[in-house]
Amino acid sequence: MPETYVVAGANLAGGTAAATLRGDGFEGRVVLVGEEPVAPYERPPLSKEFLRGEAPFEKALIRPPDFWDMNQIECRFGSRVARIDSGSREAILDDGEAIRYDKVLVATGLRNRTLGVPGAHLGGVHTLRTVADAEAIRARTAGATRAVVIGMGFIGAEVAASLRLCGLEVVAVEPLPAPCYRALGPQIGAVVAAIHADHGVKMHLGESVDAFEGGERVERVVTGSGMRIDCDVVVVGVGTTPVTGLLEDEGVHLKNGIVVDEHCRTNVDGVYAAGDVANHLHPLLGHHIRVEHWQNAMKQGAAAAKAMLGSPDPYDEVHWFWSDQYDTNIQSAGHVSDWANPVIRGDLEARSFVAFYLRDGWIEGAVALNRGRDLRRCIALMKSKAVVDPAKLADADTDIRSALATA
Amino acid sequence: MGEPVTLCPADAVADLEMKAFSVGPDFIAVARIGDGLYAFDDTCTHAACSLADGELEGATVVCPCHMGQYDLKTGEVLDGPPPDPINVYPVYEDDGKLMVELD
Repeated sequence: MPETYVVAGANLAGGTAAATLRGDGFEGRVVLVGEEPVAPYERPPLSKEFLRGEAPFEKALIRPPDFWDMNQIECRFGSRVARIDSGSREAILDDGEAIRYDKVLVATGLRNRTLGVPGAHLGGVHTLRTVADAEAIRARTAGATRAVVIGMGFIGAEVAASLRLCGLEVVAVEPLPAPCYRALGPQIGAVVAAIHADHGVKMHLGESVDAFEGGERVERVVTGSGMRIDCDVVVVGVGTTPVTGLLEDEGVHLKNGIVVDEHCRTNVDGVYAAGDVANHLHPLLGHHIRVEHWQNAMKQGAAAAKAMLGSPDPYDEVHWFWSDQYDTNIQSAGHVSDWANPVIRGDLEARSFVAFYLRDGWIEGAVALNRGRDLRRCIALMKSKAVVDPAKLADADTDIRSALATA
Repeated sequence: MGEPVTLCPADAVADLEMKAFSVGPDFIAVARIGDGLYAFDDTCTHAACSLADGELEGATVVCPCHMGQYDLKTGEVLDGPPPDPINVYPVYEDDGKLMVELD
């Protein structure tokens, strides 16, 4: 009897996992179940090229449309795994169908948080996660002139940039002291704030939202300090929640997502998790970490598939992500535990630099603006935890690869 | 193969370096790795960044913007977000000049 592997989540992590199962020679049944009615696609373009109407949706598909059939991957798009019964080893879909599995990978990703304030249900108040969300924002902004972006994390900041590039007036409301504050820290956050200010985004930092007002459609945002901001459309990007409901009551350890070991295994036999939903024991860091990055979704999805097939290799990629805002390319690698006193190579004012964050002498994390080559070069140093010489890191004429501290 | 095009003096691309050249409507990058010369499309198929601004790791070029990786011998995508391969072209030194043959 051939084995059945079910993948819950037809996204970058789940789709890559299903493709990897086949690519690595698994001959059993592969069932790929996903809530959205489309084949797996990558989300980065949704806040950028796709939102601006510069690239078609097809360009975001992670495999050609005929890939899934050709590889005999059974696709249940527009369907959802409602529950996993780890006792009977069944994945139960929302229409009641039960699929018996030998192993299951949960790659259910995230749901957007919404603001629990009056008027949050009004037309024209959007969040962004799916291609349908992006299409709705495009339709709403087509005839609009004034947008308010709530939350200047990466999604909000990229949406603000895209809407400015499309010619809308953009006001941003962010409760923290700078955009992308949690992911980039205060110093780089201030640089990002200046970039948005230069492009005409009016930013209210340290400001909250009390209500949305309007008739059927949103007409203004009322802030915590009593400002009333008139608008035609609102995009809310205030964070996410891991989708773990399908594993409740199954004894699977759930804490900040689905807790997995370095091989993407949960504590329950045959149940794996990967991507945005997985709180993974990272061998380099020595603790669990859950990240919401494109690279992690793809690489961890592939690693989980390999683990399901018996690979002994742990998933130990250095985390890395990018964000493009206007003509600025931001990249970050590693995991920063302390934002104080970075070593700077390049020039913050000129927006061409790498900020290195050291811990016990090795590079724990780095953030680069318009400096991809340098960032690439420091990833190997991060992975080896090599002790580096800060003076060499800061010297733009010294190759980062030779920045090791000499005894 | 088309007519050979002169890009630059042969010593203008040093060992372990890449340079981009404008050839008609195209941007062609050349990399030198030891005795090896590689010519390829400079424009990444993902988001149109210049690959010559990226990193050489053996005979692999890494895009500076989103870490797409291409095999310089074949143009094939090895990793990252690029949807399509890049073209690679014959390139050689002739009489102290770098020559490339475009399709």
